[in-house]
Parts: sequence; structure tokens; C-alpha cells
Amino acid sequence: MTKYILKRILRSLVTVVIVFFVVFMLLRFMPLNGYFPDEMVKEADEATRMAYLRNLGLLDHPLVQLGRFVKNLFKGDLGRSITVYPKVPIATLLVEKIPVTAFLGFWSMLLGIVAGLSMGLMMVRFRSRIGDTLGNGYIMFVRAVPSLLYLFFIQIQISKWFNLPLVYYDDKPLSWILPIVSLALSSIAWYALWLRRFMVDEENQDYVKFATVKGLPKKQVLKKHVFRNAIIPLSAYLPSDLLNIISGSLVIETLYAIPGTGGLLTTAIKNQDNNLVQILVLMYAVVSILGVFLGDLLLAFVDPRIKLTDD
Amino acid sequence: MKSVLKRVLAALIVLSMGLTAMVACDKPVDPANAAADAQEILESKEYRDTYKTYFSTSYSSLNYFSTSYATVREIVTNCIDGLVEPDVYGNYVASLAESWEHNDDYTVWTFKIREGLKWVDHTGAETEYALTAEDFVDGIKYIGDPLNGAYSLRVVRNLIAGLYDYYWGLDDIDCGLDTETNRADLEASFSDIVGVKALDEYTVQYTLESSAPYFLSLIESSMLLLPVEYEYAMALGEDFGVDNTKMLYCGPYYVSEFKRDKLIKLTKNENYWDADKVTLNTVEYQMIPDGTTSLEMFQRGELDYTSVETEAYQSLQNGEWADNLIPNEFSFSTNYLWLDFSGANPEYNTFVQNENFRKALQHAVNRTSLGALREPVDPARLVRNTINAEGAIFNSEGVDYTQLEPLANVTNADYSKDPAAARTYMEAAIAELCNEDGTIKGVSAGTVDYLPVIKTEVDGKLPVTLIYVGTDDEDEIILAQLFEAMVEEAIGKDYIDVELAFDTSGDFYGTVGGSVDGPFNYDIYWDSLSTGYADPSGILGRITTEGVENVGAYNVPEYDALVEKALSAETFDERLEYFAQAEAFLLEGAYMIPVISSLRGYHMSYEIPFTGPRCLYGNVRYKGVKVATEALTMDEYEVLEAAWTAGKNK
Amino acid sequence: MNLPENKLRTLQKSLEKDPALFTPAAFSLAESEKTGASNYSYWKSTLRTFFRSKSVVVLCAVVAAILVMSFLYPLFSSVDPTKVSINPLDWNHRPSLEHPFGTDGLGRDIFARAWYGCRNSFILAFCIALSDVGIGMIMGALWGYNKKLDPIMIEIYNIMTNVPSTVYLVLLAYIMNTSYLTLFISMASRGWIVEARFFRNRILSIRDAEYNIASQCLGTPMRRIATRNIIPHIISLIIMEAALCIPYSIGSEVFLGFVGVGMPVDAITLGNMVNHGRASFTLHPYQMLLPAAVLCIITIAFYFLGNKFADASDPRNHV
Repeated sequence: MTKYILKRILRSLVTVVIVFFVVFMLLRFMPLNGYFPDEMVKEADEATRMAYLRNLGLLDHPLVQLGRFVKNLFKGDLGRSITVYPKVPIATLLVEKIPVTAFLGFWSMLLGIVAGLSMGLMMVRFRSRIGDTLGNGYIMFVRAVPSLLYLFFIQIQISKWFNLPLVYYDDKPLSWILPIVSLALSSIAWYALWLRRFMVDEENQDYVKFATVKGLPKKQVLKKHVFRNAIIPLSAYLPSDLLNIISGSLVIETLYAIPGTGGLLTTAIKNQDNNLVQILVLMYAVVSILGVFLGDLLLAFVDPRIKLTDD
Repeated sequence: MKSVLKRVLAALIVLSMGLTAMVACDKPVDPANAAADAQEILESKEYRDTYKTYFSTSYSSLNYFSTSYATVREIVTNCIDGLVEPDVYGNYVASLAESWEHNDDYTVWTFKIREGLKWVDHTGAETEYALTAEDFVDGIKYIGDPLNGAYSLRVVRNLIAGLYDYYWGLDDIDCGLDTETNRADLEASFSDIVGVKALDEYTVQYTLESSAPYFLSLIESSMLLLPVEYEYAMALGEDFGVDNTKMLYCGPYYVSEFKRDKLIKLTKNENYWDADKVTLNTVEYQMIPDGTTSLEMFQRGELDYTSVETEAYQSLQNGEWADNLIPNEFSFSTNYLWLDFSGANPEYNTFVQNENFRKALQHAVNRTSLGALREPVDPARLVRNTINAEGAIFNSEGVDYTQLEPLANVTNADYSKDPAAARTYMEAAIAELCNEDGTIKGVSAGTVDYLPVIKTEVDGKLPVTLIYVGTDDEDEIILAQLFEAMVEEAIGKDYIDVELAFDTSGDFYGTVGGSVDGPFNYDIYWDSLSTGYADPSGILGRITTEGVENVGAYNVPEYDALVEKALSAETFDERLEYFAQAEAFLLEGAYMIPVISSLRGYHMSYEIPFTGPRCLYGNVRYKGVKVATEALTMDEYEVLEAAWTAGKNK
Repeated sequence: MNLPENKLRTLQKSLEKDPALFTPAAFSLAESEKTGASNYSYWKSTLRTFFRSKSVVVLCAVVAAILVMSFLYPLFSSVDPTKVSINPLDWNHRPSLEHPFGTDGLGRDIFARAWYGCRNSFILAFCIALSDVGIGMIMGALWGYNKKLDPIMIEIYNIMTNVPSTVYLVLLAYIMNTSYLTLFISMASRGWIVEARFFRNRILSIRDAEYNIASQCLGTPMRRIATRNIIPHIISLIIMEAALCIPYSIGSEVFLGFVGVGMPVDAITLGNMVNHGRASFTLHPYQMLLPAAVLCIITIAFYFLGNKFADASDPRNHV
């Protein structure tokens, strides 16, 4: 097992390096025009533009740029943003933004798991009865109605009914409630849906029939036998939620004016902010590969049938 | 077709009459009593000392020399004083400069700086740095270095004597083109080369490349003429202005709190030279990216200002807030259609060289319809036929520049008066450019490559294919679709075929600009230009044949000659006359087609209007602004406006 | 095969006495299919179970009606959904006989636009569902079953999910123009790997199931095990994923348009209509009503039918 884990870590490192290299090179194919602020394309003459590009080091050979980037990275210098937050050190940006998104993301994940699993359990417990119908109705609503609509409704109407703040403030805990709930809505539906699905699958297994035949009450069968088995496939998804915690949601952060990382990567790519894209990709790649890795470990841990070894 | 246009016209007339009538009988404002009425309103109000407003896009740094963000420019305007500032009527009065003088041809300006002032830091405490004439010289030195990446430098660089040479001298060294000069040597010779000097500790003198009677308005609008504590800025290097702690202040406010993408708080500077006049203790900017949220927050009393766009206006019109909707007053920015004279589309390219075709387009655009997208009540007030805005530039007799002959003809023209005109002009163009069978002379079928935006086939026959390129912004898509409909309706689908293409890269100019030195990827696009200071040269000088902003690459030597004449004119009035001739020439030839002003919609506010400085060219200043405890109503606004107008005319 | 213990013992004894009593048989496809069950047909039973429910029949009819309407309306209607009026008085009309769902901000008929949008969105969604679930299922089955593929696939998965799609979509949009091919490439480039991983995880769980080990011991070729044992086992999941993929794709079209490789931004699609309608929602709610309602119905119907079909396709529910 230890040997396997070491090997996996090594391989994860290789993946991160490949991902980073691919992104780094792709960015170098982007049109030079994308680096200029709007005004500059319209107004500046050729020489001014070239001076601008040269100052950013964008005219050097890509490998020279790569070398410089890696060297700075090992020195602990993440560089400065180019176009999205001109001149702001990226380290400063991340330190300011990640905690906000991660904080809300963590609580919403927790809420999603707790509420989602409880709802799933309720739906199985009262299968084909009112509980199931309610749960299904909720899942269908979340999936079917365009999310912009109900997120918007929650912000404007629910905040009015419960007298909650319209936007996020870092010093008012009351203003955290709506964003966290909004973030959790779809994951609640997701966890409930899959738990129900897997538990219904498991219910048809022989061991469940056996337990029922033995005379165990349905509640106990569900709790002690079915739930534990059904949780196995779900456990693989838990760690990949890690990434969602730090990457945030663009729509919700826009609605509630949350100064987090939501949509930061997409914005950075569209604005060709190479330095920012590189750091974010590197960071997200490490986190998500770590997540997959943890997921596999967890799967092997909870499901004795799966052995994750190399032979 | 005709009947539709008639209906539009009729509707608009009724609409505007209705509006006038409504305003007229709602509250007759008697100019004679306006001052007294206004006084009554002002006395009946209770005031508070905080103001909460918002901004919608993210800002990065407070470095005023390199920022392109409107909000940051507004904040800096309130935190760092310039040499002069406007008073409530927009006349320039002393600020950091106590007094100033200029020579006869407006090329040398000398300012006497207030003595004994100190820069303050982000806690409002005085620092050891004194504010002297040298700080203004250093500001120019800072922007003169290409490495500091000053934003929108061109106007100032070309105006201040020697700055152009100094800038490019440094750039040549950086590029490796000039290996003989030492960078430090050149920097040391700054004061010999560049026309800005500290005559003594408290006197700064600017020597200009050309006559600039408008120099004070440039001081108001440009961030580049602000002072800087050079030692402090250079010590911080790239960190200068990155947040509120890395900056020094000398204005009525300092930035006391700075939470990126969330909140900026301005606090009154107690050490300010004119602290008595500062009415608000704090001004708070929150970031609210979503328009509906700010509207809702205003209604719940969490904000003191909100803009109200067309859709929201219509839904508020009959409700609780109907009385508080105040129309936005003016915009010096003009939306226009920019034609490409060197594009890759052979059909359009043949036609656009023809004046009749361009006039057909000029007459095809229904300006009030376009205006109705932004101003549902009185779209006609948005119509603007000139590039430079009305109400922005006046000659020495107080005549508005846009009313000078021959430009007045353009200003007052009604291009939609004759609905058939567009098609008549088009027929004239076709008679000159097409064969009998509808093929265009000298044009064969081919492919138009405007990638990455669009690639399309043209057949070399009528209808002429015109490719309109826009951004993928929701409002702009609607605008483009309306443009397509009105042009095809006015000229006829048998003669013209408008194709719409939208750039989705989020970087419109980067994409439409093609490669760095390549051609531009459009036939026609929608853009805006703004009158930045009290002189037409700001725009007109940029759009000459060789001008940097002439991205459509037209060739108009007559216009160039007129601009040249204007720039070397003896007096300011003469200068304006030549400029008016130049602008009229360009617009009568329909080389570019101004359509409407960039003014949008309405706002609601707790701020009492006309209490703060009247900022025509620069950003809003909060010095002296009064904020009431109740939202302003339209009736009050009208009285205050009448009183202000009366006061100004006095 | 539950033999009583005493019988098992006698069998063992006779085997020891005479090894020739049992001879290993060669693998034969026909023989392995022989079962004792009477003419049981998997798909027939599935369909019968599926249509037993009345709500399924009703929903099928609704989906069919929407499909017919969205494909036939554009063929037979004379209303031009792109007809813009330059007269502001024609804008934002309330529902009337002439315009059953009113007109939008430029005087275009919303009823017509909704059906054109529906058609475009459906075509898009079917393509996405086909490529994602189709490729995903096949790759997932192979990936899950074949250990040798595992490291390679994990590497591909890690790289594909970690290189942000925006990077290559923006590049793609820069290189190619907006066309259906670009659209398809950008759609098919990403989704399948996620589906493949989902199926792989399921298959990991059943890879070592006793009946598969037994089948392998009996010499069944790997390909056959994958197609006959594993895929039918997870068929319920496939159907469900495909059904859920369709409404999801209708939503994702907006993102594709956003990075510049989707339908043209001014194309009529349900996603675009709902998105653009949000701005005027408080003032003209009816502008969004029809497109949003159709979108909801499609989503709910496919979700429901997907679930029901998954239940029906489970052989254990056939009896």
C-alpha cells in the first residue's frame, strides 16, 4: 500500500507538470492583441504596443518565459497579474480571495452532504409515499428551472421575507446564509438523487432480502445494511468537491457581490492574463488531482472489494 | 414602409409633446422665484455626513497614472487634488495652485502652489513629505518613463514640450535601438529636455508644444497632470498604488479602507487645506456587480444612489418610487458608426468609397428608434449628429462650438425627415457603381475572411453585403439587430444585405483589430468617442488620415488641411471655426456617422444636485456635496436645476 | 446450483474414481446461451414494464408533442422569428391573438421564437448526449474492465479535466469560425471523459463480481464479458445518464456561446431566450414564460422518463 501511494504521488506530480506545460504552451499561441487594454489597440501606435509587450516579457521565446516562471516560482514569487488586476501580486490576490470562497464553499458542501443524504434517506424510507414525492419534486425543480431564476428569486424575495442582507458582508454572519444555501441547492439535489438511486439498487440485493427475511425492521435494514453499502460509490465524489470549494461559483458570487475566486480562471483566460492563468491552473490541478487520489484511497478504504495495487 | 415611419414619427411627436405637457403642468418652475424656491428646499432638508454608492466592475490598483478604471479615476479625483478645480458652475478656481498665469499664445502656463502642505497617508496622518512644485514636475517624469506604463498618455505626451522625445529616447534605450546613451544620463537630463520646471519651491511652469487655451480643462480631466511624491513612488516600484497603504494623499479625502472587489472607503482628510468646505465625512463604494441588486438595495435604504436602466424605469414608473426617477443629465460621449475603408469585403469596399452610399447609410439610421432602447420616454434628446458633444466647448462669446457655421447645419439636421432619402442616395450610388444586370463593377465573387469573427461568401452582385461587427454584450446584440432592420428597411433588401457578426472573445478591439499590424476585421462597427476637454482637437486631431484613431483608414486630405489650419490658428475663436469646418466636412461626407449620445436612462439618489463642483470633463467630486436623509424627487430636481441655471447665467 | 451436501459428496467420490467422467468442454457461443427459461426477451420485457405506468405514457406524449411542434412549426409557419420592428411602439407587446405570447424588446414574435429555439436546442442537445454518453460508455467499459488501460486513462482524465476547457475553447474559437463542426468538436471534446470515469467507477465495483470471475474462468472472451455482462448490468445507468444529459446540454449551450464556439450569440435557442429574458423579467414576465416552461417540461419529462426506464430495464423488476 505504501509503495502504491508513493507511486501514485509521483505519477500525480507528472500529471501536474504535463497539465501545466500544456496550458503554458497553449497560452503562448494566443493572439498578441489580446494583451492590450482596449484603449491601447485603438490609440497606441505600433512602437508603444511593442514597448508594452516587451515590458511584460511576452516577446521572449516561450521556453525562456517558462524558465523564468519556474525559477521565480521556486523563489516563492508568483508574479503579478497582467490584465485582470494589472500589477497586483498574484499571491496577494489569492490570499485575499481564496479564504472567502473556501469558507462559503466549505459550509455549503457540509450543508449539501448533510441535507442531501438526509433527504435521500427520507426518500427511500418513504418510498412511493409523500416523502419520496416531495424529494423528487425538489430534485426536479432544481434541475428543471433555470438556476438564474430561482437564485435571483432567493436573493430578492427570500431576503425580503426574512429581512436578510442582499449582499455578502464579511462581518455580518446573517449575510452568509443565503449564499451558502444557494450554493448548496444543487448539491443537495445531487446527493439525494444518487443516494436514493443506489439504495434502491442495493435493496434488490440478496443480502438485503436476507436481512428482511430474518425479520429485521425496515428502518434498521436501511440504516445498518443498505446505507453503508450505498455510500461507497458516493465517497468517490466527496474529495472532488474540494475543487469546487476553492473555485467558487461565478453567478452566486456576482449576485451577492462576494469578493471570491468565482469565475476568476475564466476571466483570466479570456483576458489572456498569462501569469494569473498559470498559477490558477497549477493550483487547481494540484487540488483536483489530490482529490481524485483521495477519492480512490477512500473507495479502497470503504469497499473491501476494491484493491488499489499495481499488480 | 412609409406608413411605418410616419407612425414612428407621429408616435414620437405625441410622446415628446406629452412629456413636455406633463412637465409643464406638473410643476411650473418660475425662473424668477427659482432661487428662493431652491433655498426653501435646501433648508427643509436634513443632511447627513455619509454617502454610500457602488461600482460594478472590479478595479485593481489605485495607481492613478496607469489605471483605466472609471471608479479608480473617480476615487483618485477625490483623494489627490490637481492644480485647479471647477466650482459649482464649472468655472476653474484655485485648488493646489493659488494663482496662475499664461502667456499670450497659451503655450507657457505658470502656477503658484499653496505653501506648507503635506502629503497624508492612509490613516490621515501627515507624512514628512511636503507638497511642492517639484511633485508636479515628478508627475510628468513618472509618466514620461515607458516602464511606468502610463494610461492614455498620447494627448499629454504630445502637448508638453520635449516629453515626446524624452519618452521615445528612453524607449529606444530599452529596445536596444540606442546603445550609446546611458539611461541614467537621459533621466538626469529630464529637466533640460522636457518643458516642465519648478521655478522655485512653490512655482511650477509648463511649456507646451502648441497653443492650449483649454489647458485648465485638461488638468480637470487628465490623471496624468496630478502630482506625485517621486521618492516614495519609486521606492515602491510596481507596488505603488496597489492598495490604499501604498499611496499618499493630498485631496479632501484619503482611502481609509480597501477591500479588493468589495469595498473602498474614503474618509475626510482633516489636514486638507480647504477642510471646512468638505461636507461628507465618509464616502463608501461597494462593489455590486448586478444591476438589479443595486436598485433593490437603494429601495431598502442600503445605498444612496442607483442608476435605473430602461427596463427598470418602466417597472418603477407607476410605483412608490415614480417621483424619484431623475433623468441623467448629459454625456459628452458620442456613439457613432465607424466605416472601414480598407476592409476585405470587395462589395462593401467598392461602395463605401462612394459618397452617395455613405449618405444612404447616414439617412437609413433611425436615431430616435436607437435612442428608444436607452431612453423610453424622450428618445429624441439622445440624438446627436456631431462627434464633439454640444454643451462642451464654447468660444469666447459663449457660442456653442456645435452651433458654429457650417457645423450647425449638421448639428440641426434631421436625417430621418425624408424616409425615402436613403433609397434615393442608394440608387444614385448604384447608378455609378453597378452594371445594368446588377453586378458590381470590378468586383467578382469571393470569400471575405474576417476571422476570427466571421468568414462569408460574397457574389459580386446586388444586394451589397455589409458586415456589421459587434460585441456579444446583450444590449449591443439588440442594437445590431435593430440596425440591420432599419438599414434593410430604409434602403431595401434588394440593394443591401446586412450581416451581423459578434465577437465573443470578450476582447473586442483585440479581435476586430486583427493582428498587431494587420487590417481590421469589420465593415462597420458601433463605437464611442468622448470630448475629454474643452477643445475639439481631443477627438478631431486623432481621426485625421494619419491619426491613430483612424482605424477605418479613410483618406481625406481636405479634412487634414482644415485640422492643420485650426491647430496653427492665431486665436481660440479662429481655431474653433476651422475645427467646425473640418468636422462639418467629415460628417457631410459621411466618413463617419455619429448617431446618438452615450447617455443612458435615469437614476435615483439622496444627493442634492448642484451642490458640488460642476465636473464637465473630469470625474465626480464630493467636496461640498450635500446628502439628504430622503431621496430627491423630480420636482425638487427641477427647481434646483432652474435655480442653478439662473445662477450660472448671472 | 445449491446442491445438498450429501449429493455433493457422492459426486466428489465418483469423480475421484473415474476422472474420465467429466471432460472439459470447448467454449461454444450457442451452448452458453442455452438457459432453462422460456422465450424471455430482455427488451420486450423492458418496454412492457416501462409502458405499464400511465404517467410514462402521458409524458411520452408530451415529449412527442413538443418534438413534433418544434420540428414542424418552423417548416409550416409563415411567421419570421427574426423580424425586427424599428417602431418602438411594436416592442414589448403583451400577449394578443396575433402574438399569443407577446413580442420581445424588438417586436419579434415570442411564440415563433420559442419553437425555433426549441428545435435548435434539441438538435444541439441530442448531439451532446450522443457523443458524451456514447463515447463515455464505451471508453468507461473498457477502462473499468481492462487494468492495462487504467494508468493511461487516468492520465488522460487528469489532463483533460485539469486543462481548463476555456483555454482550448478560446483558442479553438480563435483558429476556427463559428460552425457546426466547431460546435461539435468543442462539445464532444470534454463531456465523454467525465461520463467514462463515472462508468469506470461503477464497473470497478462490479469488476470482481463472482459471476464475472466465473465467466472468465469458463474462458469467455473479455470483449464478450464487457458487452454481455457489464453493459447490460449498467444499462439502467446509461439510459438515465443520457436522459439527464439532454436537459443539461440545453443549459450548457449558453456557456459554449460565452466562450465563442457555440451557436452564434444571436441564434435563437431556449438557453439564449431564457438568459436574455431575465433582464426584463420583472417588467415583462410573459416574455420568458413560454421558453422557461418548455425548458422545464423537457427537463422534468426526460428526468422522469430516464428514471422510469432505468427501473424498467432492471431485469429484476421484470417478473
